[in-house]
Amino acid sequence: MRRGVWPAVLLTLSSLVAVGPFVVMLVVALSPGNAPTIPYRLPTSFTLDNLAEVLSTGSFLRWTANTVVYSVVSVVAVLLSSSMAAYVFARKRFGGREVLLWSMLSTTMVPFQALLMPSLVVIARLGWSDTYWGLIVPTLANAQAVLLLRQFIRALPDEVFDAARVDGAGDWRVYLSIVLPLCRPVLATLAVFVFLWHWNDFLWPLVIARSDSMRTLTVGLSTLESGNPAAGELMSAATIAGLPCLLVFVVLQRHLTKTISFTGLGG
Amino acid sequence: MARLRESLTVLVFLLPVLVLFALFRFLPMLGAVGLSVSDYRLDGEWRFVGAANYRSLAHDEIFLSSLRTTLGYVAVYVPLTVAVALGTAVLLHAVPWGRGLFRAALFAPYATSLVLSGVVWRWVLEPTGFLQHPSLVLPTLAVVGVWKGFGYAMLVLFAGIRNVPADCLEAAKVDGASAWQRLRHVLLPALRPAVFFVVVVETMAAFQVFDTVYVMTGGGPMRASYTLAYAVYDYGFRYFDVGGAAAIGVALWAIVLLVSLTQRRAFGRNP
Repeated sequence: MRRGVWPAVLLTLSSLVAVGPFVVMLVVALSPGNAPTIPYRLPTSFTLDNLAEVLSTGSFLRWTANTVVYSVVSVVAVLLSSSMAAYVFARKRFGGREVLLWSMLSTTMVPFQALLMPSLVVIARLGWSDTYWGLIVPTLANAQAVLLLRQFIRALPDEVFDAARVDGAGDWRVYLSIVLPLCRPVLATLAVFVFLWHWNDFLWPLVIARSDSMRTLTVGLSTLESGNPAAGELMSAATIAGLPCLLVFVVLQRHLTKTISFTGLGG
Repeated sequence: MARLRESLTVLVFLLPVLVLFALFRFLPMLGAVGLSVSDYRLDGEWRFVGAANYRSLAHDEIFLSSLRTTLGYVAVYVPLTVAVALGTAVLLHAVPWGRGLFRAALFAPYATSLVLSGVVWRWVLEPTGFLQHPSLVLPTLAVVGVWKGFGYAMLVLFAGIRNVPADCLEAAKVDGASAWQRLRHVLLPALRPAVFFVVVVETMAAFQVFDTVYVMTGGGPMRASYTLAYAVYDYGFRYFDVGGAAAIGVALWAIVLLVSLTQRRAFGRNP
């Protein structure tokens, strides 16, 4: 009976530290505007006024819509483009394949800050400054997605591909009716990670957005703060910005944790 | 004919990824070096200036202090992350019940953004004045970073612990090894690859710390939290010194490469 009591006590304490700030965020967001709040005193009543106030601001809704577009379009585009590339990387022989794979792998070792200024020059030359194109397209080059999918497709049994060939299926047929369905579990996991990466992304959306209407939630949140709004509204905005991620996390955490344990994806 | 068709298919399947990487990874990689040896004006005009940007960085007190600040951040963040992650992973392994719940709670901060963490923690820390204190601000930022990020390292290490054969730990226990001895002599040697992986990944992340600095301190007070990544942004977007910002970016790139290669060698040796 005594065994495991200390680990449980320590884990309970550290879990409280991990979750505590979210509780603080929620409590402050739900507290009436002028009431003295934690850490000094617990609020005596709750209200949705702050949340309603934030949601009624035009620019906040715009930022939310931008973030949804940024995340959802990126998920679809990354999954499609990298699964196509991963298929030929895994199943075809062609000159320069290894070189190409290595150079893609090498891009994961480059800090994004090093590419920040030149990427902006490229975007300016393309005429994509302050547009959705400029926001989304550069972030679709995702080496981790290609490499993970390639590994998975390579491990699929050869017989499946041989059988399809014998039946006279072309590459598009093989890709659409064999590769995509068989990759469904990896694609689902990748979708979650790419969604979280984009929803939480900050530096690129920050530098690409010149006008208020191009901002994402993370960028908007950082500008809200310098305007020094009431704590209740700031925490309401933070709550709304974080809610989708926390929901995705609560629903899929078992799946996410398993993926990290097996592949190390997400570092 | 069949061969041509085949290579055409390969090209078509690769095309989206090839274009994306060429335009937004490989070209900027060359561009970073190119900009760092040039004097780039916002109107698009540029002039080759050789190593001038790097020479001026060598005497630039702001850059040099940002280098020290970044090293200070890494020196707090990486050991703390590994210690907290290892501690919680061992506890998760030892706890007989509620493991899934604890793991979910500890991992939750990882799912949110650094911006959100920064906003919430800045508000929580407001009464303490830590963020206004020149010698406390950096450790405080590192602790917030650890709070946000240790869950990932914890999962990797926890998976490593589960791969240690149970009979090894059992045998050590039967031989009368204490919990500390079992950790030190059985678990840690077995965890070496996982710890290595975590150290490399977290070091790379720590050198690039930006979001929390931007949101919580803006590099202050008195540049006490002015990191390299923040310097790239500041030079580029406040001073409009594109060449200088690119040179700092390339310096950061070189440092990250050097550090991860050194770590690889250090861990590659047999124990």
